[in-house]
Amino acid sequence: MLNQRDLRPKDMGRSDEQLIKLDNLIPLLAPYDKPGMESPLTDPKPAWKEKFCTSLDGYVGIDTLTRPKSKEEEDEFVRKFLSGLEKIFSDANNGVLQPLLLSFEYCAKCNTCSDACHIYSATGNNELYRPIFRSEVLRKIVKKYFTTSGKLLGGFVGADIDVNWETIARLGELAYRCNLCRRCAQTCPLGLDNAILSKEIRKIFSQEMGIAPTPLHTKGTMLQIKTGSSTGLSKPAFLDTLEFLEEDTEEKFGIKLKFPVDKKGADILVLHNAGEFMAWPENPVAFAILFDAAGLNWTLSSEIMGYDSVNYGLWYDDYQAKKIALMQMKVAKEFGVKRMVVAECGHAHKASIITSDRMTSDRVPVESCLPLLWDMVRNKQLKLDPSKNNFPVTLHDPCNIVRQMGIVEPQRNILKAIAPQFREMTPHGVDNYCCGGGSGFAIMNYANFPEFRTQVASRVKFNQILGAFKGTMEDVSTPKYICAPCSNCKGAMRGILEHYDASEKYNLQYGGLVELMVNALVSMKKPFLEFLE
Amino acid sequence: MILSIIAYLSIGLFVGISVFKAYQFAKMPFHGRMDLYPVPKEKGFEHGGSYYEETAWWTKPHEVSHMREIVEMLKEILFIKKLFENQRPFWWISYALHLGIYFLMAWTILLVVGGLFEVNGISVAANTSSILGLLVYYVTALTGYFGLALATLGSGLLFLRRAFDNTLKKYTTPQEYFNLLLIFAALVTGIFTWGNDLSFGYAREVTANLVTFTPFSANGLLTLHIFLVGIMLIYIPISKMSHYVGKYFTFHKVLWDNNPNLKGSGVEQEIKKASSFRPTTSWSAPHINPPAAPEK
Ligand code: SF4
Ligand code: SF4
Repeated sequence: MLNQRDLRPKDMGRSDEQLIKLDNLIPLLAPYDKPGMESPLTDPKPAWKEKFCTSLDGYVGIDTLTRPKSKEEEDEFVRKFLSGLEKIFSDANNGVLQPLLLSFEYCAKCNTCSDACHIYSATGNNELYRPIFRSEVLRKIVKKYFTTSGKLLGGFVGADIDVNWETIARLGELAYRCNLCRRCAQTCPLGLDNAILSKEIRKIFSQEMGIAPTPLHTKGTMLQIKTGSSTGLSKPAFLDTLEFLEEDTEEKFGIKLKFPVDKKGADILVLHNAGEFMAWPENPVAFAILFDAAGLNWTLSSEIMGYDSVNYGLWYDDYQAKKIALMQMKVAKEFGVKRMVVAECGHAHKASIITSDRMTSDRVPVESCLPLLWDMVRNKQLKLDPSKNNFPVTLHDPCNIVRQMGIVEPQRNILKAIAPQFREMTPHGVDNYCCGGGSGFAIMNYANFPEFRTQVASRVKFNQILGAFKGTMEDVSTPKYICAPCSNCKGAMRGILEHYDASEKYNLQYGGLVELMVNALVSMKKPFLEFLE
Repeated sequence: MILSIIAYLSIGLFVGISVFKAYQFAKMPFHGRMDLYPVPKEKGFEHGGSYYEETAWWTKPHEVSHMREIVEMLKEILFIKKLFENQRPFWWISYALHLGIYFLMAWTILLVVGGLFEVNGISVAANTSSILGLLVYYVTALTGYFGLALATLGSGLLFLRRAFDNTLKKYTTPQEYFNLLLIFAALVTGIFTWGNDLSFGYAREVTANLVTFTPFSANGLLTLHIFLVGIMLIYIPISKMSHYVGKYFTFHKVLWDNNPNLKGSGVEQEIKKASSFRPTTSWSAPHINPPAAPEK
């Protein structure tokens, strides 16, 4: 094992059992600054070492990346990677060729981007997680195999890396140590984007080698294409769920709720992340209450692909992303709605509004729920009593919605209107930090990956939260609410709070934005937020 | 003569190859959106906002300010703003090099102008009666001193920093050291060549001779200097030091390009064009290209 300080990109091919070991995480803020408040990081189990690639940092990001059984398998693995690597620079990859080549060619190695990365910071500036580390490994391999200068001049131009199974597998793993949050790209003086390179590595693994984390691929996009939802929720089960939620809402709050489904002539088709119905059903319920209160003519769809807005393809596979986006668009077109509104899911925002924007012409317009919700508040379509939310609230900015779409103000305007004790995190808005769940991390829950997510990737975010609630944490009688208007971010928050036992110990709570809005409705006879009861 | 040819050829190739690179990037296939906020042309630039902050955004005019975009671009070009904001210590030396280069570009133009003045009988000197000659004389001197000093200092320090900083060392290839050394060598030979005559009268004379293809006797140092500058000018656009080309595209065509695909828009046209393209390469994973069923 190397001391991380001595680690160089060309070391990726070394035969060490594990390249580095994480041992220098930045301290957490109070009250988590006392010894013993955090469990130490663990070593991978011997069985994992044997089966997967734990030779990077000990974690298993890709559960389908298994060790070869023979020399042939090993060679085939390397060969396939190289063939995929060549393809990312070919016309098979036209949709990203220009941005990719720019980021690939021009890095001045000035390291301006390093400090912007929350994973690099969280690990006490561990060399392995420097944003350009993995980019540089990729460059070295390309130089070595695909450029004349590399073949002729070798090390002089940087083509000095050993390429074997270990190198490639580690690089694949390393692509899953980046949240694709693009915060680093904001700071690059040349406008380069290391997240593009992380994603291209993921793409080579998936699109060429058929290797991708199960929750993203087999139980993600593949399942969605087959059943209509990555949750596996079928149409009858979906309708059952809605019925159950209607009854439950009536029972709990005395509200007679009726989810409009496949309503002809509806103006708006609302797209939820189907995971909400299972994990946070209060979120779609809150949406329904608000949309009804504001008198909108809206509907849900029960068509296959119409009731799940997710598109995991965004994180690892352009082919899957496009397939899903086109299927979703087709449903909306056939439905004949005037517009689609994406509910609180960040990557679905980006998938259906930004990424798929240039996939086909003639689209049904798509918009975010946030401006619509702000309009309801601004135009006084809802009767709200902010005093019902009189506890500390902070806002997490989902990278996909904020940094990557420029939707910054509506959500904070709402909070300023309905939460008297709203306070910002530092930094916030487009400069926010990722929750640590971005790019699939939130749903990658096998082996020891959750440990990496909660204790490393989410670390800076947790500190931001603790900072925002400074002075109120110890007061257990006061709930503190992290408003995260995104399913994936909520998944990451849940991971953090559970791991640090923060709800139990400090009454730290999390949820979406609409829940807080419904909680403030004058018409609500009892608190909508469960922890207030 | 040879030196004149080198001078013309290298400047010609510098411009030519740079333009060709830009052309290559410009004709690359239409790509998906990768906008990253804040985007300067947007109304909500101050807080990093975009037109998506409005409901039914597609029914409203997309208000953009190209002026703001140009201002932001100029801040980047003239001051390297992002580096200034995000990595101040590095900015000082990088900016010294870049500012020095800007001065030297101005200086070169002024030498040509001054040289042509002299050829046409307008004296360029401290005691000339021509106001224009006087102006060219002093501005040439100033840009020359600053340019040579800043650029040499900048390239030298960048080299040293890379050579002694433990982190940068790991990521710097020998070629990247070579790049900096080449610039540094071209500059140092310049200082030795022109430094004897701080009025730059000699530099003007040589420039006039080069520009007009007038044969003149050049000593070894001068020949070496012109040779190195020539090689540098040809090498820069070939190498990744041509980031002045790339930077235009990374910002304008990638990070700041958020034009939506609306009916009747240019974007829509591009999408239609792109959708008829059939790639010659395809991916091999089973979910994309299922293995052919075994024959019965
Ligand atoms: S995209 Fe985010 S996680 Fe990835 S390297 Fe950049 S800052 Fe780090
Ligand atoms: S800031 Fe940009 S140029 Fe500098 S090291 Fe990072 S990616 Fe490379």
